[in-house]
Amino acid sequence: MTPLLEQFLSESREFSQGIGEKLMQMEDAPSDQGLINELFRLVHTLKGNSGLFTFPEMTRVLHAGEDLLGLVRNGQIAYSRELADRLLDAMDFVMVLCGDIETTERIDASRAQDSGRMAESLRALMPEAQTVQSDSATSSGKSPKPTQDAHAAELPPLAEVPEAMRIEALRQCHQGETLHWICYTPAPDCFFQGDDPFFSVRQTPGLLWGSAKPTEPLPPLAELDTYRCLLKFHLLTRASREELDEHYRYVPDQVRIVRVEPRWLSLSEDSSAESTQPVPAIPQGADGLANLLPAAPLQKIAEPSNSTADDKAAALESILSAQQQILMLDDRPDWGVGRLKAVGSVLLNLAKAAGDQVAASEVEAVLAECLATGQSSLLVLWLEASRDHLIASHAAPPGPPAPTPSNAAASPSKEPKESASETDADPAKPATDEAIKFGRRAEDNATGPRSLKVDQAKIDRLMNLIGELVVSKNALPYLAQRAEAHYGVRELSREIKGEYSVINRIADEMQDAIMQVRMMTVSFVFQRFPRMVRDISRKLGKEVQLVLEGEQTEADKNIIESLADPLIHIVRNSLDHGLETPEVRRACGKRETGTLTIRAAQEADRVVIEITDDGKGIDPAIIKRKAYEKGLIDEAALERIDDREAVNLIFAAGLSTAEVISDLSGRGVGMDVVRSAVQKINGTVVIESVLGKGTSIRISLPLSMAVTQVMIVESDGQLFGVPMDNVVETVRVPRSDLRAIKQSLTAVLRGRIVPLKALNTLLGISAGPRANSDDELAVLLVQAGGEVLGLLVDGFNETIGLIQKPLSGFLSGLSAYSGSALMGDGSVLMILNIREIV
Amino acid sequence: MPIEFKRSSAVFRDVVSVEEAEGLLEWLQRKPGAKVDLASCSHLHTANLQVLMTARPRLSGWPENAQLRAWLETALNPGA
Repeated sequence: MTPLLEQFLSESREFSQGIGEKLMQMEDAPSDQGLINELFRLVHTLKGNSGLFTFPEMTRVLHAGEDLLGLVRNGQIAYSRELADRLLDAMDFVMVLCGDIETTERIDASRAQDSGRMAESLRALMPEAQTVQSDSATSSGKSPKPTQDAHAAELPPLAEVPEAMRIEALRQCHQGETLHWICYTPAPDCFFQGDDPFFSVRQTPGLLWGSAKPTEPLPPLAELDTYRCLLKFHLLTRASREELDEHYRYVPDQVRIVRVEPRWLSLSEDSSAESTQPVPAIPQGADGLANLLPAAPLQKIAEPSNSTADDKAAALESILSAQQQILMLDDRPDWGVGRLKAVGSVLLNLAKAAGDQVAASEVEAVLAECLATGQSSLLVLWLEASRDHLIASHAAPPGPPAPTPSNAAASPSKEPKESASETDADPAKPATDEAIKFGRRAEDNATGPRSLKVDQAKIDRLMNLIGELVVSKNALPYLAQRAEAHYGVRELSREIKGEYSVINRIADEMQDAIMQVRMMTVSFVFQRFPRMVRDISRKLGKEVQLVLEGEQTEADKNIIESLADPLIHIVRNSLDHGLETPEVRRACGKRETGTLTIRAAQEADRVVIEITDDGKGIDPAIIKRKAYEKGLIDEAALERIDDREAVNLIFAAGLSTAEVISDLSGRGVGMDVVRSAVQKINGTVVIESVLGKGTSIRISLPLSMAVTQVMIVESDGQLFGVPMDNVVETVRVPRSDLRAIKQSLTAVLRGRIVPLKALNTLLGISAGPRANSDDELAVLLVQAGGEVLGLLVDGFNETIGLIQKPLSGFLSGLSAYSGSALMGDGSVLMILNIREIV
Repeated sequence: MPIEFKRSSAVFRDVVSVEEAEGLLEWLQRKPGAKVDLASCSHLHTANLQVLMTARPRLSGWPENAQLRAWLETALNPGA
């Protein structure tokens, strides 16, 4: 893929996105001229860009969109939701095409139909007059593009093909060629689009014959409009359907391609009134036809040759030497076969033009042998030997010298100079075009992007490396200790510590920098909501205004990505259950348009996302009843829990309050999925709701998953890590303050009764908790699932930030630990999964 | 200049683009009996082609390019 194409793809995505956003904004301000202009500019630029490549399918759709927006801009048609819908569909289609291009670097011809339909549906929104002007290219006009099959039934007017050409065509048909009839009716305004239909017609591959005709009786010279195309073209070609589709891919709606049946050629011959000497019978084989070839009909239109015999001989001489040179070339061995074929057909045509059947069959035989062996030497030898003979036979031609108009192009004997200059001119033209376009692109890129795309795997590797660096760096203080304690070298110990502090600082900064690289703004997730909210609310018949705040808030890529699904669930739920229909809202005395706010903000080392709607809120009584019916809570709980807790019950699995299950939500899985997804990334989710006023869901997530803050505790001589998210406080409680209620130990802390459990017991270690010299026990207050609990441990160590590795392999079944981490001294620290062990 | 307008004939050279069509039309409207020489023309834009097809000037030279010549022969002499 060329850099230009890559650039195009990324720009196209950006533009499509931008167009989508602008369309959404237009919903709120349909008459904002600035927005319309911006929208028009985006579509226009995108269309222009697509024109740089051969993506007519994309260009066509965008062109229709541009026309449509042009009319909106001029106030000729009003912005409507219908219009926005279709434009959004068109943008989706463009994205699909971008995907195609990305994988295959081209757009499959099969997309052409979709593209036509898409453009059609856009144009259908335009006022009648406009449609006619820009779309009446074909006689089909505004009606949907007629299928080619329907036309196939209509016999092409082959009678207009000169008889000699028809015989030639028939001969080719019998040789196994498939001929196609093309009727090309350019759009009347095609000149304004820079089209030259005559040029593309002349460039049609495999062209045998063609004619240009006026589509309507030509006006008197005085009234002729130069800039309106009045012509249509009829062509007969031996190119394949694919080649033709490719050649006319920019104007599929203006051409009609019909496969020519051999019998049509002969039929029209019989019915042809001007046919003076009917061909005796339809020849059955190629041989019969070959004999027919140089006969009378050809002579009828043979051009008078005005070049002298000498000129001809010189021209032939140069052609033959050119062929010889071509055969001698050995720069590209893989082109050998193609060259052989080319030379062979030139020689064959020369021989035929001279009427020399013997030479022709010789060429065929030699060529076949050369192709079989892959060696050109035989042909070279033949050329040497027959050179003079060929020239002589041309000088005194036994048969008619000049070929028919069509194969005049194929046999270079007549115009070697001309054909050469033409081929020279052709590559030159696109080259200059390209230069111009590239120049324009260069200007666009003057303020080029200063960001670069990096594969995530590379960042992850950096992340792992810095993790290892942090661990090995932490080994230095131990080394310093050993230097002092074991080897008794205090000086060295101090120097190691000095070096350590430098490395420590750099490593910290590096870690920070790498974390920054992984940071993404939440807009990555938010950007899909305008479209989603719009689509869903329209489907539900609700009026919703979406407010996005704090889109620039950053968090780790993994966090942002795992945020997408829960947020979609929540937004859907809010739209489906939360916000009411305009009628209901009016009855409640609220504004008809509901508001859905999604707000992101950073709070300390966490990202908080709040989804608030001003809908009907959640009735705690209903939730309680439902939860009780479903067996999620018992009777005691039904009495005990307050409204706030009740509302949070909607996160429990299997609870749905919606009366009907729609395709949006209501299956009772949504909020459960939300909670588990959020918890998986160490987040919390809380819901608050006021009946009749609205609901607010608050998701709190860590900024980054990479580094976990862990408090190290000691129990029975072992070290364990407890995530700081779980730690509430550390206290020392005199053994005398412990109270036993039945089997469980409790203590009163800050006026609350806190259940206590020994970590040793939880982990199945038989030793009891050890008290310090004052007979105080170390209690680590942790919270798990909203409950606070005291863990009895032997002692507290420091808090460190470390990179947690998940347990894998056989260890992955140990649910008591959420992971492990490597300590500076090389030991392994197990991180406790508090939720699992209590 | 792709078209050189002489007193009573217009000489086409190389590729005659769409920009020439307007001038050609005006010129032919002014000079009904004028001739057109296409001998050294290698391509002419569709717009020029339809001007020629409408005006039907006499040709003092057919294009040397055989393919173009064949096209023009059928386009300009539909009866023949």
